[in-house]
Formats: sequence, C-alpha cells, structure tokens
Amino acid sequence: MNINSFSDSLLSDEKIVFYKKLLSQVPDLIFQLSLSVKGDIYIPFMNKPVIKYFELAKEDLLNLDTLTILKKKIHPEDLNAVIESLLTVVIGQNFWTHEFRAVLPHKGLRWFRGVANIEKIEDGNTIFYGRVTDITDRKQKDLELEISEERFQFAMEASTNGIWDLNLKTNKVFYSSQSMKMLEFEEQDVIDNHDKWDNRIHPDDKENYLKEIQLHLENKTPFYENSKRMLTKDDKYKWILSRGKVIERDKLGNPIRLIGTHTDISSHKDKEEELVKTLEIISEQNSRLLNFAHIVSHNLSSHSGNFKMLLNFIENEDNPEALGEIFAHLKTSSNGLSDTIEHLKELVDINARMIHKKESLNLNSYLNKVFAILEEEIRVNEVIIKNIIPNDYNVNFNPSYLESILLNFTTNAIKYAHPDRKPKICYTLSKEKSYTILEIKDNGLGINLEKYGEKLFGMYKTFHNNTNARGIGLFITKNQVEAMGGKVEVESKVNLGTTFKIYFNNEI
Amino acid sequence: MKFNNVFVVDDDKIFHFIIKKLLANNNIDITPSYFENGFDAIEKIKSKLHNGENTPDLILLDINMPILDGWQFLEEFKLIKNQLDKEIIIYIISSSDNHADVNKAKDFKDEVKNYYLKPMTQEDIKAIFCN
Repeated sequence: MNINSFSDSLLSDEKIVFYKKLLSQVPDLIFQLSLSVKGDIYIPFMNKPVIKYFELAKEDLLNLDTLTILKKKIHPEDLNAVIESLLTVVIGQNFWTHEFRAVLPHKGLRWFRGVANIEKIEDGNTIFYGRVTDITDRKQKDLELEISEERFQFAMEASTNGIWDLNLKTNKVFYSSQSMKMLEFEEQDVIDNHDKWDNRIHPDDKENYLKEIQLHLENKTPFYENSKRMLTKDDKYKWILSRGKVIERDKLGNPIRLIGTHTDISSHKDKEEELVKTLEIISEQNSRLLNFAHIVSHNLSSHSGNFKMLLNFIENEDNPEALGEIFAHLKTSSNGLSDTIEHLKELVDINARMIHKKESLNLNSYLNKVFAILEEEIRVNEVIIKNIIPNDYNVNFNPSYLESILLNFTTNAIKYAHPDRKPKICYTLSKEKSYTILEIKDNGLGINLEKYGEKLFGMYKTFHNNTNARGIGLFITKNQVEAMGGKVEVESKVNLGTTFKIYFNNEI
Repeated sequence: MKFNNVFVVDDDKIFHFIIKKLLANNNIDITPSYFENGFDAIEKIKSKLHNGENTPDLILLDINMPILDGWQFLEEFKLIKNQLDKEIIIYIISSSDNHADVNKAKDFKDEVKNYYLKPMTQEDIKAIFCN
C-alpha cells in the first residue's frame, strides 16, 4: 500500500498518520488513480473499504499489476469502456464519472458508479481522486421500472382500452390516445377540461353517471364503474364502459386524483340488443304457437263434443220432429267446424313465413282501393274520411295482407260507429325509430281497454252486442302485421273513439 | 226438486239445446233461462236483485264467451254476492282442458263448486241435478 503520493511534503509525520487513520475510517470507497502519459494505469491508493468491498486478495495486490486486477474484477463487457473513459479524458476536463459492473466472488454481479476529480500534474500524469459507490439497488429499480414501463406501454397499445386520469383539484383530465381514438378523435394523448368531456355524455345516461361517480368520490363504493353513451367526433353515440378508482385523497378524505380505463362496449351492447330482440321474437312465436294449439284444441273439441251429444240423441230418438231439430243443429255444428278449420288454415298460412312476399306498395293507392270497396257503406253511413298520408309514400308489405288490414280496420271503424254522431276516420303517418306508423283514428263507440285489452286481439272475441261481429278480424290482422315484422297497438276511450296504430317495419 | 231457478250461460246455442235435451231425457222438470254471454247473465241477476225477484240457485257457466267471458262474469258476481240472500251454486262447463283455465277456476273456489269438461254426460247432469 503506497500513500506517499497522497502526502504533502509540508505535512508532518503525525499528520500523515492522522489522515491515514481518518481515511481508513471513512466507510466510502475512496481511491486515487494515476494515468501515465503512455496510458499506464496505476492505483497508488485505495482505502480499506475498497479492498474489502471488492473482495481483493492480499496476494493479488502484492503480485499483480493494476490492469490485471481491474480485469479480474470488472465485468468483461464493461472493462474496455472503463479504460476508454479514463484514457479519453481531455484537457480542461476536471471531473470524471462512469458506471460499470463488477463480478465479485461473494457478492456476485454489482453495479458501481465511480466519481473523481481530475488533476494534471507536471510530469504529464493525470491523477483521479474519487470514490466508488454501489448503485446496484438503484440500477435494479431502474431496470424494473423500465421493464414495467415497457409492459405498460405495450399493454396500452395492444389493448383497445383507454386510460384516463382526472385531477379533481384542477378539474383537468388526461385521456390516452386509445381513449381519443375510441371517440374518433386524432390518436394522441390529451389533457383537457373535464366538463368539456362530460358534455359528450348522452343526456339519458348522465344522471346515472353522476350518481355512480359521486358514490365513489364519497367513498361509498370501492371503485367506480359506469356504462354510458358518448358522442364521438362524428356525432354518433358509442357505448363506453368507464372504470376507475380514487388513488389519492387529502387529509380530510377528499378525493384528489381518480384514474381509470375506457372500454368500447358498443359491439357488446349491439349484440345484447340483438339477443334481447331475438329472445322477444322467439318467446312471441312460442306464445303464439301455444295460443294456436289452445285455439285448435278448444275450438275443435267444442265441435266434436257437440257432434257426440247430438249423435247420442239421434240414437235414442224416434220422434221425426225432434230428429229434424237435432239434424238442423248437427248441420249448424258441421258448418261451424268448417268455418273454424278455414280460419285455422288462414292462420297457418300467415304464420308459415315461406309464403310471405314483400313488395314496395303505395299506401294511398291501397287505401283508395279500400274506400272503393266500401263505397256503399261510406255513403250510407255518411262517413267522413280524412286522409293526410303523403301521396308518394310506400311501405314494404305483402299486397293481399295490406288490403285485408286496411279493409278490416276501416270496416271496424264504420261498424262500431257511435249512434249519436257521423263517423269520422282519420289516417295519418308518423315515424318512430325503424318503424313507420299508420294511425287509424275513429270517433266511434270505443273499447274499454281495461276490461278487454288483453283479449282484444284474441280469436273469436267480440266486445259489442253487434250481430255482424265474428271476432276473427282483429286476430287475423294482428297475425298478418306481425308476420311482416310489425306490430299493432291500440288506444281507446269508451264513447270517444279508438285509434289503431299499425307499425310497419322498414328494416326487414 | 233441488233447483228451481237455473241459468245456463254459453254462447253456443247447440249447447243450450243439449242441456234442454239432457234434462228432458232424465225427466228433470226444469226450464232454465239461457244466456249467450256473461254480460246478459249478470245484468239479469242485477235486475232481479233490484226488483226483489227470485235470483237463480244454479248457474252453468261457460268460459269462452264474447262481451263478458266466464272469468269476467265471476269477477262481477263477486261484487254483488253479498247482496244475495241465498247461496248460488256455480259450475264451470267448458271444452277447455287448458291448465291455465283449470287452475284459474281455483282462484274462484268460493264461487265455483266444480269444473266440468264438455261434452256433458248423463252422469254429469244427474250429479248436478239429482244428488
């Protein structure tokens, strides 16, 4: 160990001893390195902690030259860079720093950072005075951070989820590029005013959104989750699922920062809607099928029951007059059965979708056809017809169904006219989502919907003491409209009139 | 005779004839009043009550009828039941063996004594009128 060059000729021997003792007590790894003009490296001084820390063997220190010792300790991949950094010190540079790895027998691979002041001395040698610090922990953390940062970046880019970060103090919000892309904006991160984005929430979803977020801000829910429609740049709505959590609160528990994700769930929502629609259609078809089975069983069994009884009577009857009466009933029953079978056949035809042919039909020309058929009834009953349907309006429908439906509703309106006033029938058109709605409004007797609403469109249901009523028309009509993908609704007030709404499906 | 005043409520006129015939064949000397729907029947009972006339003691009731069906008749009947000074026995006679209908009859167990499936037999008639 040579510390001579560290000494000052002016220092007394005691002082040398003092400094020597002092230096050996400093836990830092302290060294002095000398670089000759030729480029030879020599370490005139290192304190005890250096020897201990770098696990230097005494024999090596005594027997080996500096370069060999450095080679033994410094990681092979870093050795050249360390030497290079020492050799390339330029004139005027008075500070040196370099990071490198060392492979130590016990501690294994460690990261170090060397820092030194540089001094040129007269003989041309360069002297480095400095210290070495173990920075393995920091390096490890940096590396972990870098990996996790990379993972995060990758996750952000790979996933379709967006990230948002809301500062409640400034009311500024960060949206990741994915969030922006979701709303059809340019794909880049933004920081913006929060209110501006809140205004893009669908009015119908806003109340629930505010409620959900408030619950979490007040710490009543462990996290915030809400699905809502957001207006995109193209003025369309998209379903966005937003999830988040307060990650910072002040001493009073007031939220400061809220972070979360955005997920575009439009396609889920669409599928969900489709599924609900399909389910509705299936359950509707199912209930119609069940209803049909009941109708068949009930209607046919009432006829067959009558046959059985009447035939029984015939067997035990001798009186020709009585026999004649029974035969008359038998005939009535037989006609009734034929009618029933005819109606059921009609119903099967409607429900067998194969035969449905849809054409683009001019609504007004079909209405006029119906008015022509009913010319006599309209004239005799002095019916006032008010038709305000645009002349060029077409619907996609089966031609014979359209005629039958219009005829049925119009006939009903005349048949159930109020005795105190002239019948008046209004035809108007409106739109609702994918439907065109034809309203047929009369000022007739009206129907008590509370009493009869459920049965109105049932088979063989009549509601007025009217001898013409067969109770089959509305049932068939409803089936025809539904077979075309539409529906029928009714509004009515007793003594005021009835409005039937026929929904034409524009999509199918 | 067990019953004096009988209402038959059914929209099927052939059923009226069948009842008439079954009563005659079994020597049951009763002339029921026939109604084609629940509305006419309940109105008759109301007017009898109003005029202090004798109300029926037996009603044979169909389910599927126009204007007021059997169930609606029973709902209306419930409302005026308290004003009657005697019990009216009601039998449902229907060609519906639908579970929904059979179960619904149980909702009216205070009003409906039994549920008969059409066609009516000699035995049914005897059970109702003679036992």
